[in-house]
Amino acid sequence: MEKKRLVSMLLAGVMTLSLVGCGDTAAPAETGDNGGAEATEAGADAGAADASAADAGAASEGPISLKMWCIATESDSNRHSYEAAIEDMKTAYPDITFEWEAFENQSYKTKIKAAVSANEMPDIFFTWSCAFLGDFVAADKVYCLDEAYEKYKSELPEVMLGNSTYDGKHYGVPLTMNIVGLFANMDLLKEAGYEEIPGTYDEFIKCCDALKAKKIIPFGCAGKETWCVTEYLESVIEKSAGADTLNDIFLGKATWNNPDVGSAVDTFQKLVKDGYFDPSGVGLTNDEVKNNFIAGKYAFYMNGTWNCADFANNAEFFPKVKVGEFPVINSDKSKLGQLIGGPSDTLAVSASSPNAARAADYAFELGKLICHYGYLDGCGLPAWTPYGDTSAVNPLTQTVAEIVANADSMVLFGDTAMAADDANTYLSYVDQVYGCQVDGTQFIEGLAKDIR
Amino acid sequence: MERDKSVKNQKTKKEFQKGLAVFLFLLPGLLLFVSILIAPIAVSLYRSLFDWDGFSEGTFIGLANYGELFTNGSIKFMISLKNSLILALFSVFIQLPIALLLALILGRKPKGERFYLTVFFMPVLISTVVIGQLWLKIYNPDYGLLNRFLDAVRLGDWKHVWVGDVKTALGSIIVPTIWQYIGYHMLLMYAGVKGVSPDLREAAMIDGATKWQTDRFIVIPIIKPIIRVSVIFAVTGSLKSYDLVRILTDGGPYQLTEVPSTLLENMMFLRNRYGMGSTISVMLIALCFAFALLISAAFKEKDN
Amino acid sequence: MMVGKKKTFIYILLVIWSIINLFPIYFMFTFSLKGNDEIFGANIIGLPQHWLWSNYESAVKTGNMARYFFNSLLVTVVSIGISIIAAMMATYALTRIKWRLSKLATAFFMLGLTIPLQASIVPVYVVLSKLHWLNKYSTLIVPYSAFTLSMSILICTGFMVDIPYDLDEAARIDGCSLYGTFFKIIMPLMKPALSTVGIYAYLQCWNEFMFANVFISDSKHRTLPVGIKELSGAYTTDWGPIGAALVIATFPTLIAYVFLSRKIQDSFIAGAVKG
Repeated sequence: MEKKRLVSMLLAGVMTLSLVGCGDTAAPAETGDNGGAEATEAGADAGAADASAADAGAASEGPISLKMWCIATESDSNRHSYEAAIEDMKTAYPDITFEWEAFENQSYKTKIKAAVSANEMPDIFFTWSCAFLGDFVAADKVYCLDEAYEKYKSELPEVMLGNSTYDGKHYGVPLTMNIVGLFANMDLLKEAGYEEIPGTYDEFIKCCDALKAKKIIPFGCAGKETWCVTEYLESVIEKSAGADTLNDIFLGKATWNNPDVGSAVDTFQKLVKDGYFDPSGVGLTNDEVKNNFIAGKYAFYMNGTWNCADFANNAEFFPKVKVGEFPVINSDKSKLGQLIGGPSDTLAVSASSPNAARAADYAFELGKLICHYGYLDGCGLPAWTPYGDTSAVNPLTQTVAEIVANADSMVLFGDTAMAADDANTYLSYVDQVYGCQVDGTQFIEGLAKDIR
Repeated sequence: MERDKSVKNQKTKKEFQKGLAVFLFLLPGLLLFVSILIAPIAVSLYRSLFDWDGFSEGTFIGLANYGELFTNGSIKFMISLKNSLILALFSVFIQLPIALLLALILGRKPKGERFYLTVFFMPVLISTVVIGQLWLKIYNPDYGLLNRFLDAVRLGDWKHVWVGDVKTALGSIIVPTIWQYIGYHMLLMYAGVKGVSPDLREAAMIDGATKWQTDRFIVIPIIKPIIRVSVIFAVTGSLKSYDLVRILTDGGPYQLTEVPSTLLENMMFLRNRYGMGSTISVMLIALCFAFALLISAAFKEKDN
Repeated sequence: MMVGKKKTFIYILLVIWSIINLFPIYFMFTFSLKGNDEIFGANIIGLPQHWLWSNYESAVKTGNMARYFFNSLLVTVVSIGISIIAAMMATYALTRIKWRLSKLATAFFMLGLTIPLQASIVPVYVVLSKLHWLNKYSTLIVPYSAFTLSMSILICTGFMVDIPYDLDEAARIDGCSLYGTFFKIIMPLMKPALSTVGIYAYLQCWNEFMFANVFISDSKHRTLPVGIKELSGAYTTDWGPIGAALVIATFPTLIAYVFLSRKIQDSFIAGAVKG
C-alpha cells in the first residue's frame, strides 16, 4: 500500500511537468498543469476506467471490423501489453471484429508511408508523435480526435497530447512516455571503486578512466542504428548547451549554427576518441548491444527507459542494474532535471476509415489499456492516469518516475521532433560525428546548410 | 480491273488480320510490360520535377532535385555512385575472370565435372536475404566465424568490425556479392565453352598449341558474345544492387556504403521525399542504359 | 611430369572452390541446431553436441516459415507460368510474323533487362491500391511476371528461331491460321524452353524482397525473404532459430536442385547459348 501511494505521487509529479510541445503547439502545455494532478487522484481508484470501457462498448451501432498496424512484434517488449489490451477489448466490444498486424520497425516506416500515399491505411495505426504524425496530418490523412477526446479528458491529461496536437487539434492517442536513461552495471562500477553513478561530469569521466584501467568498456552504443547514437549525443548537447537551446533548434526556431552545440559535439567526440565506446559497436544492432550490456560487457548503456521491462525480466541481471541521469557538463547553461524524451508512441486513426468515429473511441480505449499493461510491464511511464494496483511496477521504472517527477524540462528525441527529411539529414550528420568524419564545427555548419 | 480490286481487298484484309494477330499475341506481354515497367518510369520522370512528400500537394521545382543530388551534404549520391561503380569493377575484373577460369577448367572435362558444376552453382539458388543473414553471422565482430578464425590462427590483429569499419564495410558487401554470382556467370560461360566444336580444339592442338593457348586464342574469341552478356549483367546488376547492402551494412557506417537503390528507398520512405526518390530512379535508369550501350559499343569496337 | 603437376594444381583449385561454396551452407546447417552457448562458445564450426530441434520449432511456430515457404513457392510458380505464356505469345508475334516494326518492338521489350525494379515501386503501389489489389497473391504475381518478361522473351526468341520456318509455311498451306500454327505447331515444340525460362525466372522471383515487403501487409501472404527479415529482427541475438529459418528457406530448393541438377544445368546452359 505504501509503495502504491509512492508511485501515484511520483506520477502526479509527471503530470504536472510542463512538457515541451511539438512544433506549432504551445498552448496545451500550460493547461495540463493542474488538471493532471487532480486527475491522478481521481484515477487512482481502480474500476472507474473499466466501467467507462463498458459504457463506450454499449454505445455501438452494429457489427463492424477494424484493422490496426503496429510495431509490437513478437520480440518487442510492448508485445505483451498489446496482447493483453486487445484481449480485454474483445470482451468489451463484442461487435467489433479487430484485426491487427505487427511489423518490424524499419519495414513499418516504409509500409505506413506507402500506405498513406496510396490512401490504403488501416483504421488505426501506430505512429511516432510530432513530425512523423505531423506529415500525415498536414496531408489531411488523419482523423481529428477532438470529439472523442472529450470523453477521456479526466483520464488522459491534455499535456500528454502536446506532441500529437497540430494547430490546436488533437490527432493522436499517446500510450507510454519514455526518457533517455543512463543505465549502469553496478557490479562493474564497484570493480572500478564506485558505489553509485557519479553525479558530476568530472567524476563521471574519472569513473570512465577507472573502468578503462580495469579493462572494462564504459559505453556500448549501436552504430548500425543511428538513433542509438543520438541517445548519447543529445544528452551531451542538452547538458552542455541547455534544454531550451536544443529544443529551439529541434523545432526549427533557432539555427543549428550555435557554437555551444559545436563544442558539445566535440565533447561527445572526445568520449569516442578517448576510447570510452566499444569499437565493435559500429557494426552491431541495438539488440546486440543491449545483450552485451546484460552480459556484462559494458559499464554504461544510455538508451530509452523502455528497456526497464527487459532488464526487469532478467532475474540474474536485474539486481546489478541502476538507472540515473546524465551529469551536467556546463552548469551555466544546463542543470539536472533537463531530460531527453516525452510521449512518442501514439495511436492514430486514419481519415479514410469508413468507421472513423467508432475507431477513434476504440483507439482511446485500446490506448488506455496498452498504456496500463505497458506501465505494469515496465515499458515506460504511463501517458494516461494510472489505475488499479500498480505496486508491481519494477523498481527501475519507479526510479525513472522519480527522475521525471523532479524534471525541469524535457526535449523530445530529435529524430521524432524533426520532419522526416530533416531528421534523416540530422541522423546522417550524427553518424558522421560518431565516426569522427566531421567535427563539431562541421556538424553545426553542415546542418545549418542542409536542413531545409 | 475487277480482279485487281478484289486482290487488293484480299490483301488489305489479310494485312488487317495479320495486324490483329500481332496485336493479340503481343497484348498480354505488352499489358504487363507497359503497366508495371514503362508507365511507372514516365510517372517517375514527371515526379522528379516536383518537391513532393508523396501524400500532400507537390510544388513544381523544375530540375532543382537534380541539382540538389550533388550539392546536399546529407544526400550521398556521389558516394553511392562510386560504390556501385567499385562493385561493378570488382564484378567485371574479379568475378568474371574467376568464373571464366572455372568454366575453362570444367570445359576440359576433369574428373567430377558434374559435381563441381553442381556445387559451384549452389549459391546462386539461395535467396539473397538468406545469404545476407548468413554472412552477418560470419562477420559478427564478437562471435562471428571470421574474427574467431583469425583469433584461432593467431592473426588477432587482422580482426575487424567488418560491416562497421570504414575500411572494410564496402569490401564486406563485395565479397558475398561476388561469391554468390560466380556460379551464375560460370555456368553461362561453361555453356559457351561446351559449344566450341572439339574439331577446332583438336586442330589447334595438332598445330602445337598448349591447352591454355587453345583456350586463349580459340575458345575465348568464340564465347565473346556470352562474355559480353555477362559483363552487361554484372555491371547493371551492380548498379541495381540492394538486398545485400540493406542487410549487411544498411548503408553504414556513416552512409559510406550507400548505393543508389538504398538512397532511393530512404528518400521515398524515410525522408518523405518522393520527388527526390523519383529523381534518383530516373538517374539510375539512365545509368543502366548508358552502361549497357557503352559495353555493347566497346565489344563492337574490339571486333572491328 | 609437368602435366601431372598442372593437373594436381587444377584439382586443388576445384576442391578449394568447392569448400568455399559448401562451407557456408554447412555452417548454416550446424548453427541452426545449436544454442548460443555452443555457437558463442568453443564449438563454433563443429557438429552440434546437443541437437536442438527446438530451434526449428520456434522458426516454424513463431516465424511461420512453413507458410511463407508455401507462399513464395506459389507466387514464384504462378509468376513463372504467366511470364512464360505471355513471353511465348509475344515472341511468336515478334519473330514468326513479318511486320514492319517487329525489330523496334523487340528492342522495346529488351529495355526491361536493365530497368531497376526499385524505380517503379511507388507508382505501381499507388495503382494497385487504387484498384484495391493489395494483400493478395496476385499483388506480387503481376509485377513479378512483368519483371521476368524481358528475360523470358529473350530466351524464347533463342529457342523459337531454331524451329524451322518451313513448318509454319507447311501448316499455313494446310489451312492453319496464325493462331492455329502457334497453338498446334509452335507451342509443342517450345517445351524445351519451359525449364530454361523457368530457371531464369525463378532466380528473379524467389529472391525478391522489396516489392514483397511493401505490397503485402498481412502475414497470410508474406513471402520467405520478408519472413526471414522479420524473424531475424525478432531473434537478433538468438542465432539458432534464425539458422533454422535460413535452412527451411534454403534446403528444399537445394535438395531439389541436387536431384535435378543435370536437367537444371542443361536448361540454364540452353538459355545461355540461345539467348
